[in-house]
Amino acid sequence: MSEEVKKQKKGPDLVDRIWYFFTSLKLVIVLLLVLSIVSILGTIVEQNKLPQEYYSYLGPGTVELFGKLGFLDMYHSWWFISCLALLALNIIACTMDRYPAIIKGMRKKNVVLDEKLETELTADLAKIKYALPAEEVEKQVTAVVGKDFAGRPVVTEMENARHFFYEKGKYSRLSFLLTHLSILVIFAGAVGGSLFGFKGYVNVFEGEMISSLPAGKNAAQVLNFSVRCNSFNVDFYPSGAPKDYRSDLSVIRDGKEVMRKTIRVNDPLSYEGITFYQSSYGGFPDVTFAVRDKKGLLLDSSVFAPFRKEVAVPGVNLKIEVADYQEHFHLSDGSEGGPAIGLNIYSASAPPEGIWITSGQPGVNHDGTYSFEVKDLKMKRYTGLQVAKDPGVWLVWAGSIMLVAGIMLAFFVAHKKLWIRIRKDGKGRTEVTAAGTANKNKHAFSSELKRLVKRLQEVS
Amino acid sequence: MTNSLLFGISIFVYFFAMVLYVSYLAFRSETLGKICTLTLLSGVLIETAAIFIRWYESYQLGIGRAPLTNLYESLVFFALTIAVTYLIVERKFGIKTAGAFVTPFPFIIMAYASLNPNEIQPLVPALQSNWLISHVVTCFVGYAAFAVSFGVSFLYLFKVNAENRPSKGEGGFLDHLPASALLDEVGYKTIAIGFPLLTIGIITGAFWANVAWGTYWSWDPKETWSLIVWLIYAAYLHARITRGWKGKKAAVLSIVGFLATIFCYLGVNLILSGLHSYGG
Repeated sequence: MSEEVKKQKKGPDLVDRIWYFFTSLKLVIVLLLVLSIVSILGTIVEQNKLPQEYYSYLGPGTVELFGKLGFLDMYHSWWFISCLALLALNIIACTMDRYPAIIKGMRKKNVVLDEKLETELTADLAKIKYALPAEEVEKQVTAVVGKDFAGRPVVTEMENARHFFYEKGKYSRLSFLLTHLSILVIFAGAVGGSLFGFKGYVNVFEGEMISSLPAGKNAAQVLNFSVRCNSFNVDFYPSGAPKDYRSDLSVIRDGKEVMRKTIRVNDPLSYEGITFYQSSYGGFPDVTFAVRDKKGLLLDSSVFAPFRKEVAVPGVNLKIEVADYQEHFHLSDGSEGGPAIGLNIYSASAPPEGIWITSGQPGVNHDGTYSFEVKDLKMKRYTGLQVAKDPGVWLVWAGSIMLVAGIMLAFFVAHKKLWIRIRKDGKGRTEVTAAGTANKNKHAFSSELKRLVKRLQEVS
Repeated sequence: MTNSLLFGISIFVYFFAMVLYVSYLAFRSETLGKICTLTLLSGVLIETAAIFIRWYESYQLGIGRAPLTNLYESLVFFALTIAVTYLIVERKFGIKTAGAFVTPFPFIIMAYASLNPNEIQPLVPALQSNWLISHVVTCFVGYAAFAVSFGVSFLYLFKVNAENRPSKGEGGFLDHLPASALLDEVGYKTIAIGFPLLTIGIITGAFWANVAWGTYWSWDPKETWSLIVWLIYAAYLHARITRGWKGKKAAVLSIVGFLATIFCYLGVNLILSGLHSYGG
């Protein structure tokens, strides 16, 4: 028979055990510490870098292993997300577990100081006797107590005594709910943001317009409007450090400018929930060359080569392309060489080659067949914009406010209850009994109560 | 510049405060105790003056910004917040002997700061924000509260060992340390102050990051480490409030928490790379 009983018991027992597992404090503490330890990993192994960067300091086998384990993007790996999900479940279970008791603690009002309560509160209880009539005592005592406990007391008349119940900081009992739900709200905001929002980055050249941008791993994000960069400017301090990046942007919809704003690093532009942040800048040159042959004879005095466009040099079988540009070029001896143009040369008679042309000196290809002199250089500047749509961000801020409010309530506000009972004693004197309790910081409340009693004793 | 001179003086005053607090452990005269507190207080006043003068001098240079933006400035501010937090705790709980374990921090930090370049540099665009002050101040006051908790927890471990040892008649200075229960209480109370501040510091940082970079959380090493610190103290508070973890376990967790705090503040900048500016 015992077999059968065991089998029957197994069902609810398992559920109980799962419930116990999710509501146990051990799980919280283990999860918090495990999360903090694994988070360290992601600060040691640099996250989301290009593969070649990893290969430069890790063996190929290690890179592959780390990739499989999710170490290279660990904050989005299945096991890290699982830890967070477990934490969320843990919070939900604990909240459900404690919710009834919290509500009960707020609702339950023992508004009468009876014998039973009196024995419970002996540590924080005082009796004072007055030779005054009860009405007079009541008037003065409630006035004194009212200075500490604002608001009307609950008054009950019972067994020839009048009971006054005061409380404050009742809502500090909500601190548990606020702090724990806030984490769930923040999680919800983060999940919502990643599901329904996007993040991307785009370069916009001065005078040009974009209406879509690369976002995420595969898709291009198409916007309902266009953004034009009217101009971009950088200011520098005398020391050379950057002072201000400014992009003058216009939002254009159906051919009309609907918004215009100069954005700075801490001052983005928002339109229809999509925000454009000043993130970087740069420029590419359109270069005009004078091209000469081996003997120094001018082949063409002005070959215009826009950035990253192959152009033919007239008269000879030669194509060139401005492929790169560096503002601060490092010469082979390590010194600073000023701006330099990376030029690709495609000649029919030789394999393609690339050369750097530094300022003031014409560039020559390897066998000296051609030389290229920079006649003119026009920088085409672009502004680099971080673009984000995050419909979950408001939940994150709401959760943050809840979290701070909850923590403040938890640490700095206590639920204090005070009972005052006024009745006649056997000798015709008026007897006042004061007793109180607080759900935290009991020591401080005891001394608070003692001071109150002292003031009550001064009533005459 | 006047600010450098005053910072220099405050290093010496902090040094004397430290020496005095250590000698207070040995002599415990009431007069000496008063001199300890007054010396530390004067260090605080001189340093506060130095910080405000540095602020003012930045305006004279045409830069005009709060002095909270590079390693040097954050270090001197950290030293100040620790000294102030300690003075408040000392006044509230009357644990003057703990001073010997906390006052070395302001001195060591100031001395380390003096090895770093201290010119007033103008702000790069990312730091030009109204969030700068609230973010930095909340973080560092939080760190300072953790530092005091660390010192007190350390002291607790000494004291509790002494209390558990069978009495050998007239004991050494350990007998004169505050009771271990009080140290345990102060270790907790300081964390209860530091934790909300760190929380606000992380949130203001996230809000600022969202305005400046379009993302409130990017798992940058600094952010991640601040979260690690937060998680450790969250674990501490759960263990303590719900499970009644007190004494040794709590003290060890407080020490671990502060070591993580120091790594978050300095280790991340000196060893790892990331978005926060005061690396060098």
